[in-house]
Amino acid sequence: MKVKINGKVLNAKEGETILQLAKRKKIEIPSLCYKKGFEDLGRCRMCLVEIKNGRRKKIVSSCAYPVKENLEVQTHTEEIIKIRKDIVMLMYLKSPDNKYVQKLAEEYKIDEPKKYIQKINDDCILCGLCVEACRELGTNAISMVQRGSEKKVSTPYDDESKDCIGCGSCAEVCPTDAIKVEETENTRTIWNRKFELVSCKICGKNYTTLETIKYSEKLLGEEIEYICNECKKKITADTFKESFKNIY
Amino acid sequence: MSSNKKILVCCGTGCLANNSYQVYEKFKSLTKEKEITVKPLVKPTGCNGLCEKGPVVKILPDDISYFKVKVEDVEEIIEKTIIKGKIIDRLLYFDTNTKTKITDHRNATFYKNQHKIALRNIGEIDPSKIEDYIERDGYEALKKVLFNFKPEKVLDMVEESYLRGRGGAGFPTGIKWKTCASYDNFPKYVICNGDEGDPGAFMDRSIMEGDPNTVIEGMIICAYAVGSNQGYLYIRDEYELARKNMQIAIDSAREHGYLGKNILGSSLNFDLEIVRGGGAFVCGESSALMASIQGKVGEPRAKYIRSVEKGLWEQPTILNNVETWANIPPILLNGPNWFKKIGVKDNYGTKVFSLVGKVKNTGLVEVPMGSSLRNLVFEIGGGIINDKEFKAVQTGGPSGGCIPKEHLDVNLDFDSLDDIGSMMGSGGVIVMDENTCMVEVARYYMEFLSEESCGKCTTCREGIKLMLDILTNITEGKGTKEDLDLLIDICHTVEKGSLCGLGQTAPNPVKTTIEFFKDEYLEHIENHRCPAGVCKNLTSYHINQDECIGCGICAKKCPVDAISGEPKKAHKIDQNSCITCGECYENCPVDAIKIGGGIVES
Repeated sequence: MKVKINGKVLNAKEGETILQLAKRKKIEIPSLCYKKGFEDLGRCRMCLVEIKNGRRKKIVSSCAYPVKENLEVQTHTEEIIKIRKDIVMLMYLKSPDNKYVQKLAEEYKIDEPKKYIQKINDDCILCGLCVEACRELGTNAISMVQRGSEKKVSTPYDDESKDCIGCGSCAEVCPTDAIKVEETENTRTIWNRKFELVSCKICGKNYTTLETIKYSEKLLGEEIEYICNECKKKITADTFKESFKNIY
Repeated sequence: MSSNKKILVCCGTGCLANNSYQVYEKFKSLTKEKEITVKPLVKPTGCNGLCEKGPVVKILPDDISYFKVKVEDVEEIIEKTIIKGKIIDRLLYFDTNTKTKITDHRNATFYKNQHKIALRNIGEIDPSKIEDYIERDGYEALKKVLFNFKPEKVLDMVEESYLRGRGGAGFPTGIKWKTCASYDNFPKYVICNGDEGDPGAFMDRSIMEGDPNTVIEGMIICAYAVGSNQGYLYIRDEYELARKNMQIAIDSAREHGYLGKNILGSSLNFDLEIVRGGGAFVCGESSALMASIQGKVGEPRAKYIRSVEKGLWEQPTILNNVETWANIPPILLNGPNWFKKIGVKDNYGTKVFSLVGKVKNTGLVEVPMGSSLRNLVFEIGGGIINDKEFKAVQTGGPSGGCIPKEHLDVNLDFDSLDDIGSMMGSGGVIVMDENTCMVEVARYYMEFLSEESCGKCTTCREGIKLMLDILTNITEGKGTKEDLDLLIDICHTVEKGSLCGLGQTAPNPVKTTIEFFKDEYLEHIENHRCPAGVCKNLTSYHINQDECIGCGICAKKCPVDAISGEPKKAHKIDQNSCITCGECYENCPVDAIKIGGGIVES
């Protein structure tokens, strides 16, 4: 299938989106909420592009738009650039103290209307990556709650979640470090719930929560040894070393 | 002795709020206990449209209509009208256009200009009795279709009628059905969108409450045409009576063999289920509605793959609005050519409007497409309350625009309204008079939308919030010209950048008020004055000393005793104690009270 991006004719695969094609061909389209393997799309609006199919021009989100034969795409028209700049400006008004957003603001050279900067900084840009990560894991402990300008990510009724396993994947994918994870020597507190940490039987370091291990055991159907990732790597490396010894 | 006399008591939501159920019960009990020679049949019906003058009672076959009927009037109606055939003058409708009292409501200007298709049965039947619907040709279209037409013929007929979706977008229903029918992927679903949520709109509510069977019949016909076995009615939770009447209708349709397995002995299996909407405005958007039925968060998705191909549970789905469904049975029964004789080119049939705001006759109105807005406001609506000056009409709910008096002759159809920056929407019409502040109107809609946006995409969620903040500043006297530029600027980003129709159309109220009422914005910004006297920070009231006759009404009405003066001499307002409530302005018999700018700022 032939698709034109910024005048260049490209071979596109049936079923892929404009953004996937662009990524494959190393054409830059900014996007904040897209991650390979995650389903939910179209939140941040940064990946908007202009398309021409036949005579009609339209602005679409490239992360969701499936490629079509003879589609013509423009990724950086004046209008698109202006919209992206406005999106960053809107994010900045909500999260003026956030480093990630500040960097974007600098990059896009926004001209923010100072009097509309919100008084309480909110780090979350509602990209939804955390919710998707949690959903992918099958835990579904957090989701988008409320709507409009009250929208946020939370557990049901903001209570401590019985489904949360404290794995911290949500915090890991968060681009703006908006999810609070408090760790002491033996505990991790996330989404209002305190988890006991378990220690690695080799190095003795606390590395994950008991609930995470139990959840993995349930999925795998077998017991897991309490070994942290670093030690696991070390063991694998040692095994290799031993086997190579026998060969040579 | 029984008679052919019928007493129809309107039990639509508007009339119910005015005790019409008690009126109905009183009629019931009095006709039962009284030793009268003529026993009339008493029936509760759906909404008659003229909600403002409710409760409405109609007496058949004499065609006498009584308005604003109270429980105390019931005995007199039976004594005089039912038994003696006399008309009670005081309960007749007073037509403000012709300045006459009217016996048969159908002769009133409000009703005369209407043409009822979707509302054809409402007010005439008891919605809880399927027999009433059947008596008025109910389920005849279904019988005709099931035993005489192939599904392709049904699709052709709907396409030929060029019926356009009454939910707002005006997409041709026939094309939607044909596309869905073309996919060889089963199961398919048929959905009724009853999540009407525009401020001031109650068309769909009235149909679901007053004639639920027509919606069901329309859906069964569609199921037959596209090949579906399961349908859903998504009804917003606040519409309790609509849900109740719809459930009664579904149950009786099942009992009568119109729903379920082998409908009327044919090979069609189809059933319906009601899904209660949680009260989010955005769930009226098709993909958010489907997400909600599936138990997910009510957020729209990018619809580059249409729901006729992949909709509910990723299966081909037909979603139509309540009013669209109500049009299906008459179209199939009378044929597309009959339908195309009503309305104007490419906009055939009728449209139901809920006419509210500052007009004399508020209520539900069904007119042929292409009627003029002027006809709707000044003929049917009877003009502006207290004969004040007309200022604008807001059509299409929060996504629509404000239409100024220059465009009063615009035709009410999908294309003409689009051309002037507004839209048909689901049919809400809010009339505004000279005392409506257009900046405040825009601010109100942005407030509504900032709460009702699902918040999924940045442009809609944050963009509308910024628009709201700017408009709030302007109405409070803190706005600047730069703010106005920023407002115009951000409208474009929200419109072009948003994911679904809610965000894409959200700037319409702002854009149209700026286009048609820019002076009013500038008056707020530059002179700190709200010409309509609505924005309290920017309003003060003054008494024109030459015009005041010293009647003292204003002083009596003033809740804070800020007005003083001797009888028959000009009065004065103490600006320090005035709370700018506007009571004096509203009540002055000689219009001597004038609206000035804000005191603090100026």
